[in-house]
This record gives sequence, structure tokens and C-alpha cells, in this order.
Amino acid sequence: MNFTLHIWRQENAKAKGHFETYKVSDISPECSFLEMLDILNEQLINDHIAHPVCFDNDCREGICGMCGLYINGRPHGNDDGITTCQLHMRKFHDGDEIWIEPWRAKAFPIIRDLVVDRSAFDKIIQSGGYVSVTTGGVPDANAIPVPKRFADMAMDAAECIGCGACVAACKNASAMLFVGAKVAHLAMLPQGQVEANERVKKMVCKMDELGFGSCTNTYACEAECPKQIKRQNIARLNREWIKQLFAGNHKPEE
Amino acid sequence: MDTNKLIKISSITKKLLVALFGAFLLVFLLFHMCANLFILAKDGGEAYGAFTHFMGTNVIVKVLEVVLLGTFLLHICLSVYLWWQNRKNRPVRYHQTSRTKTAKGSKLAIISGSLLLVCLIFHFYDFYFVKLNFVEGTYMVKTEEFMNSEPDQEISEEARVAFMNLINDGKTSKDMQWIRQISAEDKAVLQEAFPKAEFEPDFYAMARQKFSIWHIVLGYLVFFLVVGLHIRHGFESAFQTFGLNHYKYSRLVEILGIIYCWVVCLGFAIVPIGVFFGL
Ligand code: HEM
Ligand code: SF4
Ligand code: FES
Repeated sequence: MNFTLHIWRQENAKAKGHFETYKVSDISPECSFLEMLDILNEQLINDHIAHPVCFDNDCREGICGMCGLYINGRPHGNDDGITTCQLHMRKFHDGDEIWIEPWRAKAFPIIRDLVVDRSAFDKIIQSGGYVSVTTGGVPDANAIPVPKRFADMAMDAAECIGCGACVAACKNASAMLFVGAKVAHLAMLPQGQVEANERVKKMVCKMDELGFGSCTNTYACEAECPKQIKRQNIARLNREWIKQLFAGNHKPEE
Repeated sequence: MDTNKLIKISSITKKLLVALFGAFLLVFLLFHMCANLFILAKDGGEAYGAFTHFMGTNVIVKVLEVVLLGTFLLHICLSVYLWWQNRKNRPVRYHQTSRTKTAKGSKLAIISGSLLLVCLIFHFYDFYFVKLNFVEGTYMVKTEEFMNSEPDQEISEEARVAFMNLINDGKTSKDMQWIRQISAEDKAVLQEAFPKAEFEPDFYAMARQKFSIWHIVLGYLVFFLVVGLHIRHGFESAFQTFGLNHYKYSRLVEILGIIYCWVVCLGFAIVPIGVFFGL
């Protein structure tokens, strides 16, 4: 298969970026999207055309969340419930033009080309997405009884891999699905409940501070989440927030 | 300057307030729609007049009126503020237009809301501003006010003629309690002669008169369509914002939203249509 690629190139965070057009040919339909980019980069290096295109990736099996690319108007490309590394060229047609952009959000500044700095997510987690006491190793399944329904919901929420597609897709660059997933998954388990009020307060304040938008219930995040995290987690985040509002004045330590 | 610091409440709380005020407006809208149905009654405005008289004079209603206006204002200010803030969170836009599949209602909320505001100003001009004496309309007055009020001076010939004309033209209600459909000119003349008489807007007459003109009817139908667009999203959205979204019951909320939307819009629409076609 042959493709024309329009790729966002940008030297560094400050530089002015632009689209560069490249052609790749003889790509196997079984090739993954990132492998296709590898082939392109080999060409660029071997033929001394340009600095290879920088893009993030790690596991290449849909579990690390590093590989976010905005492809033809959709985060992670034109398929549901997958990361970019799980996208294959058979999803495209021979001769397609493919536009590749980095995530665009104030809170995710571009480092180079298609690589963005997602450490804002880490900062949100650091602000409260944890349980303060050591909870030990994995307890026996029957040691702390959790109703199956809650265990399932917590597990679904915990699937979030922090890829940032929700922010990339949202017209407000809102991180509510991510924060919702993190808050919900801890709030539904006994270990997380002690700090639930403080956690939601700290994480939401951090989210606002870092320049993520607010939710307008558009649900673009849900449509693009590779782990299909549901909007109900945002509702739970709102619920936890309301609970926190009425729960009295916890002063989070500095 | 980071304008987010101007209002030091979290984005979720702001959104909660938008939804809270929005929900209050939803309740008001249902009430407004039900009251309007009285305009369809062919009783010369007996029922609707009694209603508007109550709404115009009751103290609690007057307080609620201020609350309602405040609610509108806060809903609009907060939602526009949030929208403005949200635009800034993506300083560099995507080159490609988004192909993410989402419902359009939310993205259109700011447009439907702004259109709604424009329609609302026209609507206020038609009715509410008459009550505030910003514009002239048609008036009604209790007959007894004339009987009780001592004219300060000799009643002018002009006022006497105007008064007699109203009586002779059958502008009094069946029980003779009210004189209705008083034009702005007559009102001015009579008010001078009877300074104590309290004239109220005759909304029944005004509505019936306005809804006999086709382009006003059409304008109002567009208004209701815009309202429908906004609340079709707003109803469900408010539930989500309050955190009331459940895997099991979200479908129920959606259905309730659709029912609410159609009931309110059709309920509103039936009045101008009905009056226009002489129902
Ligand atoms: C008059 C001008 C109005 C403007 C400019 C306006 C604007 C907006 C905007 C921008 C939103 C945010 C939508 C979102 O982000 O999800 C919104 C939400 C909403 N509006 Fe309005 N609106 C107006 C009037 C009304 C009226 C008359 C009603 C009630 C009948 C109403 C009910 C709602 C509701 C229920 C929501 C959803 C609240 C939420 O979940 O955030 N609005 N409005
Ligand atoms: S919620 Fe979904 S889209 Fe957002 S960061 Fe987590 S996995 Fe990615
Ligand atoms: S590279 Fe790890 S999820 Fe794609």
C-alpha cells in the first residue's frame, strides 16, 4: 500500500511548527501504524532527507498509553477502543492521504514533532491519586469483601492508561474523563474511601490549575477512549465533588 | 492575567451552578407553558387575566420574579464565562476538523443559548417590557378603581368620552369587574383623570392580537424551536452535571428529557398556532 503523509514537524516547544509531506510505498496491510512510521523514519535517515519524525511509544500493545497521535481528525485514528499502536494500515485505503498531528492542549505542550509533554497527568495523580498508607501486597480475594458490582466498576475505571486521548478529543481540552476514572476507581474500593473527599478536592483543583478545561458533557472523550472508560465516571466525579463540598473543611496539608 | 483566578471556585462548582440555574429555568419553563394554555380559552381573558393579575400583584411572585431574572443572568454569565475559558485551553487548534462521533447538542449549546437570548429580548419587548412600562401595550383595569378613585380634578371631556367608549364597546368583563383592551392612548387619558387607578397590562389581549399576525407567529415558532434545541441537551446534561448518571437509569433520563422537550415545545407552540387559526 502507498500513502501520502502530512506530518506535523516542530523543532522544540518554542519553535513554529508546520506540516511536512512524505510518501511511503509498499507498506504491508498488516503493518501497524507505528511500524509504518518506523519505515518512514528509516527512509528519512538512510536517504539523509531529514531528522526522523519524533513520536512517543513504548509497549506497542495498547497498555502503556504513550503513543497518542491525532490521525485524520481522531485521536488514535479512525477506529474505536484502540491506541495508536493498535491501529493497522489495513484500516486505510491504498493511496490515502493521512494527516498526523500531536495532541493539542494548553496543558500538553509539544516537546518535538508529535511528542507532547503529558506530565500534567502525573501531577494530577501526585496531587491525590494514591492511598497514603501501605496497603501491602495483593490481599487474598476474600480478605476485604468488595461487592462484585463495585469491584467491576472500579476495575473498569482502573483500566485508564493515561494516554490523554480524552483531552485531545475534547473541545475544551478537559481531563474530566481521566480524573473521573482515577477518582472513581479509588472511591469504589474500601482502601480508597478514607481519603476520598480530600482526594477529589486536590485532584480537581490541580486539574483546573494545570489548564485543563471543564466538562460540557460532549462525551467526545468517551467516544475516543481506547479503554472505553464511560461517562458515568465523570458523573461519579461530580458526585464525589458535591459530597466533598458538603463534607466539611478538610485542610489539605501543604 | 489568569482570569481563572478571578472566580476562585472550581470548574465543577461553576458547572454545577450553571446546571442548578438551568434546572430552575426548566421548572419555570414548564410552569410558563401551562399558564400560557389559558390564552387559548375563549373567555375574553377571564382566566388568564386573573392569573396575570395575581402574578402582577402577589408579593411572593414579585420576589420570585427577581430571583428568576437573577437566575437567567447568572446562568448566562457563568455558562458564557466557562465557554470562553474553555476556548483558551487549546491555544493551537487542530488542522483537521474533528471526526469524533458526538451528539451535537453540547457543542451547539452556546449557539442555541445565544439565539435563545436574542429571541428572549424580542419576547421581553413584546410582553414583559410593557409590565415594566418600557414600551406601550394594551391595558386592563379593575372597574371598581374608577368607582372608588376620587378624581383630583374635573374629569376632562376627553377622559369621559374614552371611558364611555370602553363601556359601550363591550370592553368590560362579564361580571363587570374588569375593563379590558384599553389602548395606550386611552390609558394615558384615563390615567390623568384617575391618577389612583392601577392599570395592568392586558396580556391576554396583547397575545391574541400579536398572534393574529403571521410573521409574529412564525417568529415565536422559531423561538420555541431554539428553546427545544437548548433544553434537549440541557435536560440530560443537568442530570450528568449533578452526578445523576447511572449505568441503568441514564436511558430513563434520556427518555424523560425527550418527553419534557416535546411537551414544553408543543405546549408553547399550540398557543400562537391556535390563536392564529381561531381556535
Ligand atoms: C438565555 C440565554 C441562555 C444562554 C446563553 C444559555 C447558555 C448555556 C450554555 C452555554 C450551557 C452550557 C452547555 C454545556 O456546556 O453543556 C447551558 C446549559 C444549560 N442551559 Fe442554558 N442558556 C440560556 C438559557 C437557558 C434557558 C432559558 C434554559 C432553561 C429552560 C436553560 C437551560 C440549561 C440547562 C438545563 C443547561 C445544562 C446545565 C449543565 O448541565 O451544564 N438555558 N446553557
Ligand atoms: S480516560 Fe481513556 S482516553 Fe483518557 S487518559 Fe484514560 S485511557 Fe486515555
Ligand atoms: S505504545 Fe503503549 S499503548 Fe501504544
